[in-house]
Amino acid sequence: MADLTVELNRLKLRNPILVASGTFGYAKEATAFVDFSQLGGIIPKTVTLLPREGNPPPRTVETSCGLLNSIGLDNDGIDTFIEKHVDYLTSLDCPIIANVAGHNAEEFVVLAEKLNAFPQLAGVELNMSCPNVSGGVDFATNPDMTHAVISAVRKKCKLPIIAKLTPNVTNIVEIAAAAAEGGADAVTLINTLMGVAIDWRRRKPILGNVFGGLSGPAIKPVALRIVCQVAKAVDVPIIGVGGIQNLNDVMEFLVAGASAVQIGTASFYSPGLASRLPAELSDLLDSEGAASVSDIVCTLQYPEATPVACAAE
Amino acid sequence: MDAGCSPHDLAGFVPSAVECHGQVVENRCVAKDTWIMRLFCPELAREITPGQFFMVRDPRVTDPMLGRPFALLDVWKDANGNVAGVDFGYVVVGKMTSLMATWPVGDDCVLWGPLGNGFPVSDVDRLCLVAGGIGVTPFLAVTNEVLGAQKYGNSNRIGSSRAKSVSLCYGARSEDYLMCVDRFRAIGVKIHISTDDGSCGQKGFVTDTLRELISSDDCPQSIYCCGPEPMMQAVSELAAESHIPCWLSLETPMACGFGICFSCVTRVRMDDGSTDYRRTCVEGPVFRAEKLCFS
Ligand SMILES: Cc1cc2nc3c(=O)[nH]c(=O)nc-3n(C[C@H](O)[C@H](O)[C@H](O)COP(=O)(O)OP(=O)(O)OC[C@H]3O[C@@H](n4cnc5c(N)ncnc54)[C@H](O)[C@@H]3O)c2cc1C
Ligand SMILES: Cc1cc2nc3c(=O)[nH]c(=O)nc-3n(C[C@H](O)[C@H](O)[C@H](O)COP(=O)(O)O)c2cc1C
Ligand code: FES
Repeated sequence: MADLTVELNRLKLRNPILVASGTFGYAKEATAFVDFSQLGGIIPKTVTLLPREGNPPPRTVETSCGLLNSIGLDNDGIDTFIEKHVDYLTSLDCPIIANVAGHNAEEFVVLAEKLNAFPQLAGVELNMSCPNVSGGVDFATNPDMTHAVISAVRKKCKLPIIAKLTPNVTNIVEIAAAAAEGGADAVTLINTLMGVAIDWRRRKPILGNVFGGLSGPAIKPVALRIVCQVAKAVDVPIIGVGGIQNLNDVMEFLVAGASAVQIGTASFYSPGLASRLPAELSDLLDSEGAASVSDIVCTLQYPEATPVACAAE
Repeated sequence: MDAGCSPHDLAGFVPSAVECHGQVVENRCVAKDTWIMRLFCPELAREITPGQFFMVRDPRVTDPMLGRPFALLDVWKDANGNVAGVDFGYVVVGKMTSLMATWPVGDDCVLWGPLGNGFPVSDVDRLCLVAGGIGVTPFLAVTNEVLGAQKYGNSNRIGSSRAKSVSLCYGARSEDYLMCVDRFRAIGVKIHISTDDGSCGQKGFVTDTLRELISSDDCPQSIYCCGPEPMMQAVSELAAESHIPCWLSLETPMACGFGICFSCVTRVRMDDGSTDYRRTCVEGPVFRAEKLCFS
């Protein structure tokens, strides 16, 4: 049997299949469909310092092979998260990686310090990239801010740190490099791509918040491209996410350079998918003659003379 | 629900839901743009109760990609009398429902459910069901249960068959859109039809027939309502004026149907007087009317 364990610096996982933040609620909701003991990790919905009501509906609209969302980080705040969810989550037979978003470096630090009291958490993912928060806080569009946030959190929090980056930037490589430099154990690539859906007859945008983030199979090629670029140019473990809906998609991300992957939107329309994938992956690795997942990671063979535009542009 | 690990009090959280295949046993047009599909899916069918729903998806395509929610119309039994699957009614309005109307008998789809809280078990003598358009579908199972014609759900369900009188105020655009009227009539429901164009029953809105019913000897003690939002708002106002408890089943668009995406929210009044967006799939889809804030 192939070895499914993966190590992303300080973050050690029993297998590389995680479920993505914001697409798995607080896990309990999925009880009926998902065998948590099969998953490599669960990342619950983003938590902020103060409660947020979220955006007005409609909050999602289906587009061609994709989903546009503007949930707006609807959550009850970190204190309620700790009070109501952390004990339950960490009682599950599955590593839990909390995901937080702050308005500034100080907020990120306060959030991370609060989570630091829970060593039973496997790590913390910093959502530096949510496009739905009005005010346009987008740390991960600026390498210096990215570095500042991560290094500040690293000083105050002992948990492994993952930086979740946005694709809505000109040069993702320099941001990923800044995240690694700042002390991130891994980077998650990618959050959703900014988009809009229009009802032309009514001359109105469909989403309550006008713009939203695109996810699902429609974005997979973009996510793969970004994984390739960062894997080539930056020495940091990558967690790939974007449009994964079957084992072939998982393999593409691993080959491109991701050490682990997250299942996002696919859980909405294939509720039990994520917990079936680890066993499927194990079987496939066996039939491929691979002894471990790491034998597959970053094995993409680029044509020799082709400029893949992998370095910073 | 096991307390202690409950994030909130999720009235519509269904730990016994399943993800399964459904095989099309029948798929026929029963009224204008309106179809009834019969699926073979025994595990889901054995659990589902009136007012609950399930998600349906075509696993062969990613456009449409997401499942779509449909309410239980009825369960059906095989030749041995065992519950074998579900019937549901659908109106062709968009991508998925257009595709569904082309599914031949024998085709496979994927479904997950049962989902949501469903209507409360009725304990009154006189129940009134108010339906607008396709909103009529959940009421066949409600009626079957309260009139003792059919049991639903697993052995833990304590149903009630004490209703002496069930009325249905059913509004539609025109006669062509009416469905299942004979089935309701056959189990003894008193039907009050209204149509926008007067092609069947009274010309006007369900609130007109409901108002007449309320001022008659047969005044209902509870009202269950499902239909377009403006209609549900009008019905809930009428129920409030008449001091009749009223429950509404919302048809909020959904992406997952089981609580993980937070897209299906509606504004709900909390006990402390504040309001909050709540997920209709796991806290509803059935709500007490006075809990909802209409936009
Ligand atoms: C709990 C619950 C139970 C339900 N039960 C039933 C039931 O029993 N029977 C039933 O028929 N329905 C039911 N519905 C509604 C049903 O789920 C929808 O009608 C169905 O999802 C439509 O899917 P579709 O792909 O055909 O339509 P879609 O293509 O998703 O479109 C849905 C609606 O949005 C409009 N629309 C689509 N795209 C756009 C756009 N770009 N701009 C503007 N408008 C757009 C369409 O015209 C259409 O009216 C229920 C809903 C809920 C929440
Ligand atoms: C409805 C929805 C809500 C999301 N909420 C969050 C969130 O709260 N925090 C976060 O870091 N990412 C969030 N995401 C982004 C996903 O975690 C993921 O990065 C993205 O959807 C791409 O993956 P996918 O195509 O597999 O869904 C959300 C995505 C969707 C579709
Ligand atoms: S439809 Fe996803 S949370 Fe309700």
